[in-house]
Formats: sequence, C-alpha cells, structure tokens
Amino acid sequence: MRWCNPSSGFCRLLVSGAALLLCATGAQAEATPTPHGTLELIAENQWIEKRDLAGGQKFDVGLYFKLEKGWHIYWVNPGDSGEPPRVEWRLPSGLSAGAIEWPTPRRLQDSSSIADYGYEDAVLLIVPMHADPKLATEQATHIGADVKLLVCSQEMCIPGKAQLSLTLPIESHAAVPNSRYADLFAATRKSLPRPAPANWKFGVADLNDSFVLTANVSHKSSGPPITQATFFPLAESQIENSSPQKLLPEANGFRLTLRKSDRFLKPIARLKGVLELSAGDSHLNEAFLIDAPVSKPSAARASSDLGARAVQ
Amino acid sequence: MKRSTLYPMLFYPMLVALALCAAPPLISAAKVGAAAPDFTGTASNGKTFHLSDYRGKYVVLEWHNNGCPYVRKQYNSGNMQRLQKQWTSQGVVWFTILSSALGKQGYATAGEENDFMAKMQAAPTAALLDPAGEIGHLYDAKTSPQMVVINPQGVVIYDGAIDDKPTTDLNDIPGAANYVSLALQQAMAGKPVQTASTRPYGCSVKYADAAH
Repeated sequence: MRWCNPSSGFCRLLVSGAALLLCATGAQAEATPTPHGTLELIAENQWIEKRDLAGGQKFDVGLYFKLEKGWHIYWVNPGDSGEPPRVEWRLPSGLSAGAIEWPTPRRLQDSSSIADYGYEDAVLLIVPMHADPKLATEQATHIGADVKLLVCSQEMCIPGKAQLSLTLPIESHAAVPNSRYADLFAATRKSLPRPAPANWKFGVADLNDSFVLTANVSHKSSGPPITQATFFPLAESQIENSSPQKLLPEANGFRLTLRKSDRFLKPIARLKGVLELSAGDSHLNEAFLIDAPVSKPSAARASSDLGARAVQ
Repeated sequence: MKRSTLYPMLFYPMLVALALCAAPPLISAAKVGAAAPDFTGTASNGKTFHLSDYRGKYVVLEWHNNGCPYVRKQYNSGNMQRLQKQWTSQGVVWFTILSSALGKQGYATAGEENDFMAKMQAAPTAALLDPAGEIGHLYDAKTSPQMVVINPQGVVIYDGAIDDKPTTDLNDIPGAANYVSLALQQAMAGKPVQTASTRPYGCSVKYADAAH
C-alpha cells in the first residue's frame, strides 16, 4: 500500500483527521489497572479556559477509583490499620494542586477490636487545581500523578502503584464540562462533608475514658429527631475506632460518647473530624466537618442535667 | 462457737472466694507505663514460654503475618532479622507472635513457621503460635507488624509501630527511625523512652472473631 501523497488535499485531510481522532482519545484518560480495581485521572472540564490568568483559574480534576466487590481503600485517617492513597503530582510551571477533598468515609469493622475508615465500590477524590499566569498557554497542559495505594479485603492487603496522566488543551472560550463525568463530580460533591450550620454549637468534654461530644443543633425544627450519629476523627490515636459510639438524644440536640484510644496521651484543645448524621427513617445521611473545643468539665456541670429524653 | 455453726460460716464465703479466683481474668489491654500482662505461649519449637519467667530482662513482642506487605517489607529487606540478632545478642528476649486464626492470612503450623524462619534466617528467641488470639487480645494488637517493648521490671515501655515510615516500600527502611531500637537504647542507658507510643501501621491482625 502506498502512503498517500502529502501534497494532495484529500491526503492532508485524512492525516489530520486521524491525528484529531488520536488527540481526542488522548484527552480522555484511560483507566489504569490497580490491585482489584482501576484508577483514572479525570478532569471535570474538557479544557482549561485561557481568560485572564492573573486572577488565577481554578478547575477540578479527580482520581477515580473503582474497586472489585469486597475490596476497599482508605480515608485520610485510615483507622486502626491500612494506609490512605498518596499522590505525587507532576505539573508544569504555573499549575499547582490543592489538597484532596475526601468524601465521607465508611466505617469498616475488621473485628471486635479493629475498625478502619475507607471506601468500597468506587470513589472520586476531587483535587482542585490552580493555574496562574506562568502557565504556558500555547500548548496543552500535561498533568501527571504518581499514586501509591493500598487495596485491602477482609483477608489481605495488596499495595499498588499507578502512573497517570491527563492532557488538557487551553482554549480561549469558557470551559465546557466533560459530560462523561458531570454526574460523578456532582454526586461526589454532594457526599463531601460540609461545614456545620453557623447556629449549631459543639463542645467536647474530656472525661477519663471518653470524649463526650455535645451538639446543640437546631436541625430543621420540624424535622425528625436524629437517630444515628457517627464521628470520624481526622487525627489518629484519639478515639477507639472499634468502639460503638453511644448516642443520647437531648432537648436541643444530642450527646455522643466516644471512647478514647489507649494511645491517647497528650490532651488536645480541639477535636476535629466528620460527623455523619441520619434522622428518622430516611437513609439520607448528612455529613459535617466539625472542629469543637475540648474542655474538662467542672464537677458541678458533669453531674447536672443530662437533658436526656426517651428515644422515640 | 459450735463446730456445726463455724464450718458453714467459713465454707460458703470460701466457696464464693474460690469461684471468684477461678473466674477468667478481665481482658486488660496493655498500656504504656503499665505492667505487661503475663501470658503463656506455645512456640513453633514445641516449648512453652511464660512472660513472667523473663522478669529481669528486656522483652520484645513482634506481631507477625508473613502475607502482609508491611511485614514482608521488614523481612524481605532483612531488617527484622537484623534487629532480632542485634538485640537477642544483647540479652533481649524476642518473641515473634502469630495471632492469625486458622484459615486466615498469617496463620502457620509449627512446621510452616519453622520453615519460614529457617528460610528467612529469622532469629527470635521463639515464635509463639497464638491462633486463638489470646496474647493478641491481651495486648490489643491491631496490626502486623506491631511492636511492644517490656523492661526488666515488667513494664511496657513502648507499644506501636516498628518505625516512623508507614509504607510498604523497602526503600523507606534505611532512613527510618526504628522505635524498637530507640526504646531499647534509651532504656538501657537509663533514659526515659522519648517515643513510647505510636499508631502501629500494617495489616489488621486476622483474629478468630473477625466480621467474616
């Protein structure tokens, strides 16, 4: 077969058409195999908008993990065992990566004394990217990510590595979302813990063996009472991850008892983490980022009203 | 007092006291600074070991599961074996403990563990087979590896991770601060142990009472 004659217009069209096809598929990431799953570096938008970069241009990319049934990866605080995924970015000058936005994890109970925090089935870890005027706009932007991860089942753990890359063109007009990933980014953002409403108040009592988180929440005054609460600590070695967290409803909210970790040594001024709440029969969970002051209760206050009322 | 009254007065309380003594002890997870709970373990070499026999010596407990990548990091690099040789040659008693239940990763028969130790040139004082998880639960071992150091007075002076690089990468061993060696060095020099408790990193111990 003869190569087509480059001077022919038809040939040029054919070659550029083929190149365009290759470029189009190049802009879409392919899933990289990991132990018992796949990992993809995806972008929310199809390109980066070239408008005035002096003010900084923000856009989101994400690490999309898909896992086989029975396998999981870990949250930023993995709990008693395991290790969260770690990313090292390979970015051009003018581009920087923000911190991973961790969706609310699931509690994974390994045994009576061991519990971890992580994700099963699939999870998108959104990472905000920031472009400034140094970013070269004459060519497409190449984003690289070297990911180390640990994938575990009840039976075993397997470490893995993935080298991912993503190429984003730079265009002068407003970025258009990748329709392929729009739902995924939207659903993930819904599952991100959000700051608690301003009129909610939290405090933590530092008792001998436990922390008692007191929440004063005016949770939709006509809404159903909170029936389930789970606190996921951001830091390790603060609470006993495998202990059940006892919920005591109160007039304006609730108290949640968190058994301290045996490793908890130095007192802390604040308890930070994610508080997941469900109310009534609905399976709708809401998750909030909380950062509550910790104090030793006065003897008087400790023995006074608990304000408990019967669980309905 | 008549004999017929005295004996019942003594007998029943004694029965109650005996019953209380015979009751199984409450599980008390070991804590740094507290007395190390005594245990009896059967080793892969068939011998029986009581922790209390080693009062007067430093004792290291090493939770082990040879299928776990974090344990393999320490053994495939030769690091764990080196630590075992280094410290046992200085009079430290080193127990490798296998708390995995039958059928779960990390479980080994005596023969299998002996083969593993020979192949890897491991040099603990003994490898204790704990498939019922009794010693594991007594020390609240959550991961493999997890390390406990006990001083000659029988007090836990370190409990937690083997070092400060919580990864599966062998390349992280040379630059890592080894908490076991540091605890032993500092305690042997009569100094307080600077880092006495850390979150152990590794795979969860595969106890018999696991979820499934």
